[in-house]
Amino acid sequence: MYPLIAAASGSSVLVARALEFFTFKYDFARDALIASILVGALCGVVGVFLVLRGLSLLGDAAGHATLPGLAVAFILTGGLAAPALLLGALTSAFLASVTVGVLSRGARSRPDASIGIVLSVFFGAGTVLLTYIQRTATTSYAGLDSMLLGNVAGISSGQLLSIVVAAIVLIGGVALTYRHLLVSTFDSVFAASIGVRTRLIHYALLATLSVTIVVSVQAVGVVLVSAMLITPASAALFLSSRLERVLAFAGLIGAVSGALGAFVSYLGEGVATGPAIVLAASSFFLVCMIFGPRNGLARRWFNQRSRSTRQEA
Amino acid sequence: MSPHELFIEPWTIGAWMWRGTLAASLAAVPCAVLGVFLYLRRLSLIADALTHVALPGIVAVFLMTGSMEPLPMLLGAAAVGALASYAIENLASRDGVRSDAAIGIVFTALFAVGVILLSTSVQNAHIDTQCVLFGDVLGISDESLLLLGVVAPLVCLCVALGWRWLGLVSFDPGLAVNLGLPVAFVHYALMGGVSVATVASFEAIGAILAIAFIIVPAATAHILADRLHVMVGIAVAHALTSVLVGMYTAVWFDLSASGCIVCVGGALYAAAFLFAPRHGVMTTALRRSARRRVASRISRVA
Repeated sequence: MYPLIAAASGSSVLVARALEFFTFKYDFARDALIASILVGALCGVVGVFLVLRGLSLLGDAAGHATLPGLAVAFILTGGLAAPALLLGALTSAFLASVTVGVLSRGARSRPDASIGIVLSVFFGAGTVLLTYIQRTATTSYAGLDSMLLGNVAGISSGQLLSIVVAAIVLIGGVALTYRHLLVSTFDSVFAASIGVRTRLIHYALLATLSVTIVVSVQAVGVVLVSAMLITPASAALFLSSRLERVLAFAGLIGAVSGALGAFVSYLGEGVATGPAIVLAASSFFLVCMIFGPRNGLARRWFNQRSRSTRQEA
Repeated sequence: MSPHELFIEPWTIGAWMWRGTLAASLAAVPCAVLGVFLYLRRLSLIADALTHVALPGIVAVFLMTGSMEPLPMLLGAAAVGALASYAIENLASRDGVRSDAAIGIVFTALFAVGVILLSTSVQNAHIDTQCVLFGDVLGISDESLLLLGVVAPLVCLCVALGWRWLGLVSFDPGLAVNLGLPVAFVHYALMGGVSVATVASFEAIGAILAIAFIIVPAATAHILADRLHVMVGIAVAHALTSVLVGMYTAVWFDLSASGCIVCVGGALYAAAFLFAPRHGVMTTALRRSARRRVASRISRVA
């Protein structure tokens, strides 16, 4: 009897919390929802270009590489001034993605290993700086800790503003330069031959990636930001073979995952937002992989079966 | 500060410097040895995935058995590691999923599961996120040290026993298949070895920095060496040098030991990348400009 009552009261707490969430009783819940949706959409759109160019894990490296930049900015300004932290993270993320390019062009280096080296050495430098901060800091460094796994509930209005601006500018930028991006992604030699500045586009993409990662890290964290770049984009690639549709689907999957993740982490005690968003995106990937019209498992199985029955007939 | 104070004294105050250096070396050497074969097979980033998925493995075993016994932990992590590498390969072999994207999809999903389990179901356990992510070389426990003492020699012994197979599979998988070698078995044994080495070194160096211990020594060795056994030797030397210098740096400036070890390793890599006798970027540039100078002098004389 008692467990039943406990379960009932437990679920009523959940319902009450869900109601709280959807009626936007608290400002921070609304802010968290907006931030997660925008981060999901932005990462989804930018991730498509990374995945198509074979740079998926560059996002992982740049994500980990924000840590030393954050730490240096914290040490220099002695506090959690949001603009300084963003600038620091942005610089080190961009530096990391350029370093991966430089290392990959060396005589005896491999692109995959270069990504791993940059990721781990930048992160190692970040941990060293973190211990330095823990030892010397007079003000609280709790904000830096939450960057690791993301804490969208604690997002400030300034951070929210940075996410909104970044999402509008970057998605708008992708829409404006769509044709150049399209041709340089699928055939960079041809693009160069018709006068598209492929190098400029490459570096612009790295800069876009850095900005995306820096604003997303506040919501999903350093460790899992790469998932938001890779997973919605890979899921969308099962849904269509036209780039504009893939971009739209990836943005949509990212946004819905963001909303779901923010909701679940609001309901569940101790569920961090970042992992919840990532798991939502992974479930969408699974669904798209099975039921997607392009190379989906179900469709393929169906085609095979109909082919074999035709042969029997 | 006299040299004696700097270099000798840390070893005399308690046992922690001995224990830390021992733990870091025992963690670094098997990672470096296995890393060479991963690097040669262009699987470096699988290490990224395997180090991250050790976390859900450990948490799952803890939830099932309720204890932190080392052996079940190792088995659990190895099982999740094998599962992850199978899932990555399966995904990557499909049309429509890029192979590097497959790595990113699989390990982030598993890592997210691990973090959520850790923060919801395992609140009172002796696993905290901070320690799992960064490790704690100087505060290493007796059990972890013992575990490392067993696992590290075992991994090295296995590599020594499977040396010819590993070498052949790394350099010419096609030939290895034709000769009838169990290529799939070697592949999964390698993955299992990386998982076990990662879990054993978890408490010492943490999940994320383990990837540095796997990739950076091998990448440095590849710039310097032309033969497999030389490459493994240089990788081990790189690992031990970065451990020793990193430990001293950490003690002198009171910083994260594993972070310092990784930074020293990165600096050694950068030095090799720039100044390696044959393949370094700077040395190549100098050689080229010297050659150009000679050529222009000859043309002037002619």
